[in-house]
Amino acid sequence: MSNENTKGFSGMLDFDDDDPLNATAVSKKSLVIFFLIDTSGSMKGKKMGELNTVMEELIPEIRRVGEADTDVKIAVLTFSTDVRWMYSQPISIEEFEWARLRADGVTSMGEAFKELSIRMSRGQFLNSPSLSFAPVIFLMTDGYPSDDYKAGLKLLQANSWYKFGLKAALGIGNEANDDMLAEFTGSKETVVHAYSGGQLAQMIKIVAVTASQIGSKSMTLSDETDKELQDEDVYAAKQNLLGKQIQELVGNQNEGDTVPFDTGW
Amino acid sequence: MFNGFSNSVRGASHEVKNLVCQDSSAHKVHDKYAICVVADGHGSKKHFRSNVGSQCAVEATVETIERFYENIEEIEANLPTNSKLIIRNIEKQIIAAWNVKIMEHLLHNPITDEEKAPFTEPGEFDKIPPESYYGTTLIAAVIGRDYTFGLQIGDGSLVAIFEDGWTIMPMDYEESNPANITSSMCNANAASMFDCFYNKNKVPLALFASTDGLYTSFGSDVDFLDYHTIICSQLTDLATFEPSILKNLQKRSHFGTEDDISLSCVFNADLLASKIHVINDKVAENRERAKTRKAEMLMNMHKQKHQAAMRRAEELHKKR
Repeated sequence: MSNENTKGFSGMLDFDDDDPLNATAVSKKSLVIFFLIDTSGSMKGKKMGELNTVMEELIPEIRRVGEADTDVKIAVLTFSTDVRWMYSQPISIEEFEWARLRADGVTSMGEAFKELSIRMSRGQFLNSPSLSFAPVIFLMTDGYPSDDYKAGLKLLQANSWYKFGLKAALGIGNEANDDMLAEFTGSKETVVHAYSGGQLAQMIKIVAVTASQIGSKSMTLSDETDKELQDEDVYAAKQNLLGKQIQELVGNQNEGDTVPFDTGW
Repeated sequence: MFNGFSNSVRGASHEVKNLVCQDSSAHKVHDKYAICVVADGHGSKKHFRSNVGSQCAVEATVETIERFYENIEEIEANLPTNSKLIIRNIEKQIIAAWNVKIMEHLLHNPITDEEKAPFTEPGEFDKIPPESYYGTTLIAAVIGRDYTFGLQIGDGSLVAIFEDGWTIMPMDYEESNPANITSSMCNANAASMFDCFYNKNKVPLALFASTDGLYTSFGSDVDFLDYHTIICSQLTDLATFEPSILKNLQKRSHFGTEDDISLSCVFNADLLASKIHVINDKVAENRERAKTRKAEMLMNMHKQKHQAAMRRAEELHKKR
């Protein structure tokens, strides 16, 4: 009976090409980031153009977050009159390419919440054994839902992955309702707002990069306090840390371009 | 004739922090049956003796099953009709034997000031039940000539390979709690928290028990199962192959989730020798399927990107 084989890692890197076990690759710890993006008609024009541009720029930045020891995967769900996944499964950040979005139709946010709830399961999008972290869920919208979002949110709130996931939201322009977004994230600290193209770029990057960093952090049970934390507390601590860091970073931002979305759009 | 191996490797993250391996593993081979068992000590603050707890768990399991098999004719005659009852009894006896072992360890090794030092809040240490010091998971399975059964408390995996090359994880998977909250031998109602399986419909070739660190080093369940089939294909020369298994487990911890990894295997060596061509064919088939899966995934992604580009082009055309 063994408690540990004491042989060290020496020689481990000398991969033997003839070793049949090398046929199955080793997967790094993985994290899925869900982007829920409002592509309704009100997002048309500068908002959608800016969002497409910043998301294209963001991918290499998230890639850098994960390159050390985490395989970050991206899943993008868009909602307007219909809900649609950009790709039919989460794609590793190494292979991910942003497919530019277009805006049209109404805001079926409740349907998007329902769809997300269905896909956030071991039998669906979260089926990788190497999945080590609860997902990051980032909602971006510029208006109020046109369907019964509360019914969708209720369903989502019963999903364990949602409960333990890191949630953040970005309101775009004057029409976005921060209270409703706080209902989605569970706290006001994890809701930010962008009123101009420059702010939109800043906010998306702050939220996505910070959430990815915290989401992929193996927070030990005594990181935040000397007391023993239960696993649930670790996830609550991560959500609090996300809110704190987002607010600090948002507070340090420049105004960016000062032309608001809702002026002449 | 049965044969087997078992190995536990310290996780890469534990190496860095100079923590001991919390996993334990064992296998025991008899003429008519064999046992594989692994245990994964929880390792967090209040489970500060979980390395001892996991070692006690594998010992308690082997001893308990051997005791039940003292009258092998009787147990094998009763398993087909009373498997649930028998396995439940084994589970209860394992829990009882584990409790005896850890309490004996505690008696001979009283808690030191160093062990108490991290608990700084008033009364914090006193609130912890002594069995929690030793908290661990447990996964064990038995292979007979024409049946298998297994039991499990907490996370970890069992894999069975049958004579026709069919490979399965016989325990039903339940939607995991993302917080990795796991059942434990130290839970007050531990005996009721076990999952188990019994299979008598197919002739087993090999059984594998592994701790969570192995499973989480794979990108998919299919890759995980294929890995076991590859190991099975090499077991006819276990002495030559065993160092490769150890090296691979270390590699998987180092480049995977950095967790401790344990793998225990028992197999029917005579049957394997006569069926090795079936397993080799299965390995070749799996390799081709893996290539096809990867090609399909890439093709699917390119197709979806192309469709998105077409939609955009169509939209631009309409605008003009």
